[in-house]
Amino acid sequence: MSRTSKTGDPNPSPLSRRNFLKGAGGVATGGVIAQGLLAGTLGEEGAAAGDVEELSGEVEIALEINGEPRKVKVEPRTTLLGALRDRLEPPLTGAKLVCDRGQCGACTVHVDGRPAYACMLLAVDLRGRKIRTIEGLGSPAALAPLQASFWKHDASMCGFCTPGFVMAIQACLEKNPRAGLAEIRAGCAGNACRCGTQPQIFAAALEAATQLSKGGK
Amino acid sequence: MAERKPPSAAAWPPRAELTVLNHDLPRVDGPAKVSGRARYTHDVRLPGMLYARVLCCPLPCAEVTLDLAPARKIPGVEGVIELMTGKTGYLGQPVAAVAARTPEQAEDGLRAIVLTLVPKPWAVDHAQATAEGAPKAGRNGNVSKENVAGDAKDAEAAIAGADAVVEATYTLPVQHHACLETHGVVVDYRGGDQATVYCSTQGTFTVLDDAPGELGLKSSQVTAIVDHMGGGFGSKFGIGIEGKAACMLSKQLGKPVHLMFDRADEFVTAGNRSGSRQTLRAGASRDGKLLGFVGDVTKLGGTGGGSFPGGRPYIYSFEKSCVRVRSVYTHTDSARAMRAPGHPQASFAMESLVDELAAKLAIDPLEFRKRNLKDPVYRRHLDAVAREIGWPDHPNKTAPAALADGIGVGIGFAVSTWGGGGGDGCEVDVRIDRDGSVVASVGTQDLGTGVRTYVAAIVAEEFGLPLDAVVARIGDSRLASATPSGGSTTTASLAPSVKNGAAKLRGMFAERLAKTMGVDEARLRFAGGRVADEQDAKKSLSWQQACAVLGQEGLSARGTHQSDLAANGIHGAQAAKVRVDTLTGRIEVLKMVCMQDCGLPLNRMAIRSQIQGGMVQALSYGLLEERVIDPQSGWALNANLEDYKIAHPLEIPEMVALVDDEDARGVIGLAEATVIPGHGAIANAVFNACGARIRDLPMTPDKVLAALGKVG
Repeated sequence: MSRTSKTGDPNPSPLSRRNFLKGAGGVATGGVIAQGLLAGTLGEEGAAAGDVEELSGEVEIALEINGEPRKVKVEPRTTLLGALRDRLEPPLTGAKLVCDRGQCGACTVHVDGRPAYACMLLAVDLRGRKIRTIEGLGSPAALAPLQASFWKHDASMCGFCTPGFVMAIQACLEKNPRAGLAEIRAGCAGNACRCGTQPQIFAAALEAATQLSKGGK
Repeated sequence: MAERKPPSAAAWPPRAELTVLNHDLPRVDGPAKVSGRARYTHDVRLPGMLYARVLCCPLPCAEVTLDLAPARKIPGVEGVIELMTGKTGYLGQPVAAVAARTPEQAEDGLRAIVLTLVPKPWAVDHAQATAEGAPKAGRNGNVSKENVAGDAKDAEAAIAGADAVVEATYTLPVQHHACLETHGVVVDYRGGDQATVYCSTQGTFTVLDDAPGELGLKSSQVTAIVDHMGGGFGSKFGIGIEGKAACMLSKQLGKPVHLMFDRADEFVTAGNRSGSRQTLRAGASRDGKLLGFVGDVTKLGGTGGGSFPGGRPYIYSFEKSCVRVRSVYTHTDSARAMRAPGHPQASFAMESLVDELAAKLAIDPLEFRKRNLKDPVYRRHLDAVAREIGWPDHPNKTAPAALADGIGVGIGFAVSTWGGGGGDGCEVDVRIDRDGSVVASVGTQDLGTGVRTYVAAIVAEEFGLPLDAVVARIGDSRLASATPSGGSTTTASLAPSVKNGAAKLRGMFAERLAKTMGVDEARLRFAGGRVADEQDAKKSLSWQQACAVLGQEGLSARGTHQSDLAANGIHGAQAAKVRVDTLTGRIEVLKMVCMQDCGLPLNRMAIRSQIQGGMVQALSYGLLEERVIDPQSGWALNANLEDYKIAHPLEIPEMVALVDDEDARGVIGLAEATVIPGHGAIANAVFNACGARIRDLPMTPDKVLAALGKVG
């Protein structure tokens, strides 16, 4: 598929309006289109000249993840999600890559205690910030109360969206442990679940809110 | 089947005696899922692993040439392969693939490929495909031969004698599966005679269909792993073109290759639910009896045929009917099976039509349905959902509500059917060790339905153990055979094999223990974590003590399919309550209710989840989803999750899932049935709320306003 410029892409496409119109016109008139134009990186002329633009280049940065200092080699354009999943050793794959443009919430993590989409942040911008991922919330043997409530209410089916929902609602409940249904729904409004577990998620979140407001963790 | 029941055949205990099954069971892999530790194919990380991407053709039809050389110059890129050149057949056809050391470098490599396209005429929608001189998208033209069932003259005559006749065209868009985990594989082949393929698939063993051939290996040399998978809904069987590309790259480079589609790829080349256009004519008598039905149905399945349950009118009984079904082919990717293939399309049109007839005759739409559904189970289900949604007290049953401040509240109904039976093909190894461990092993996959949990639960029930005393091992082709998960067949195929294996093993264990304990085998009871003589409470062993009599080799048995433990053929009814703002056209679903039968409920909580999930997907289909391709430019306009919207938390209404406990049959799969009627029920509720009859999905606000005559 063509890569139109992505919101999360730290290197906005150099596609110019002139080039785009030229490319689009090519379709309408039955002309020849080079993929570079569609993809927005290489112009037809550039490709013909054999130019290759290198966008790579790694630096090692330090990030504070789940309370631990971690070193990770990233490119300037590497997202926090890419750093966590693909570059950290060992990786943290709980946050999921689903839409890659901040539309599904599957990569939700906490940055300085606030929910954030890891696909929309550049890893290099997060030096000195406190990052918490689903792995930092609880483990299978010691689930956090919200996680335990998700389990109890069957709030995950395929489970691919689950870490994102847990992190979004955890942030919502940390902000207001007495959150009601409306606030919980708003707190995870940006999260998508295709299996349709939302009713169970709401039930799980409401029960956890009740526990938290009584002074649980 | 005339097969005689062997004396040792297993039987489900009476439901009142069940202590594990037919209860709410938190799924056994829940802790892994809620803590982010469940490992999906997407999460597999191996030493030296390369990240691969595919390049999909952005036009529906074009002459493609590739220059891969620039991509090979990108630092980090280790492999670039051509998947096809020449004339493409559909929008999004994969043409090349790149493998690199990092995802960023793979993307650079992809962008460096010079893809030259000479656009060729295309047809991406019904109008383009059926226009005179349309470019050919199907092998034998763009319109398939018609499938005709019933006699048109008889049906027309029946309609002619009717008191009320409705003729209308209903259209449904192409829908996407939108699995949150995209299609993809990790192929680990570092040379030699062994390879492992991790795959996001609905069939562990379907991986062995294609992968060995692509790798030049035998099936016995390849292991398929499906530990967890992030949604399939019918779109994930085999390894696909993406899996083939990953196999080629891994074989060529001698390194593990991770290739998952990105979201845009997923939208154009990973399948879809076929669109549908149905022109229906039907008549009914004054007293509410359906008489004649003539249906003219077109399926839009891209380069594939699409799905539709033809043959006769969907579920409802007409005296005479004639249904014609054809496919129209376009230059878009082939439709694939999607949860109850064809049924949600047929249901929407039929339920709308039936509702229109009821309204024309001023008959209560619930009553009208009950009069025309032969199977009494539907009447029971309709009454149950009507009570739960508040129909008995609903003021406006036969005409739209009087609008207060432009707001209308309405209720609608629809019903569903499915098979859900199973068959041979699943075998299960059940084993007890002398330390008390119990393991049930089968290579099957869990799509999120809760397979792991019921495999363990059936064995736990058999031995009177708690659920967590049994470990279910699945998702590995080295384990016993299992069928792929399609058509809601898994439960009725697999559960009987688990039960059969567990019962065999219990018989063997009882025989052994009878000797040790000096008790008649027939008097041994497995319950409450103990094995005891039912007539002498003093003769009793704890599970641990009982297992300690076993040798190092433990004790094991293999279960095979036992058909009398399963059944086939299910029913469901759904009701929806909506609030329509006739000033803005916005539809808000307030509540949905479903009653579903499914034979013996293995895990009631997972069943309710499945039912609610079906309703959520139907709501999403009814109100939000539609693939849009610009016919002029050929571009996919909403190949992302903001322009192709699926239901989010703010759209989710109150939901009630009712399990029909009067169904005394064996196990049956129910997943498909639950996605069939919801959007039809919502459409009928919208009409009941404000008089807007919407015949074209999705039911967006503009269509509500148009139906009310407020906008052109």
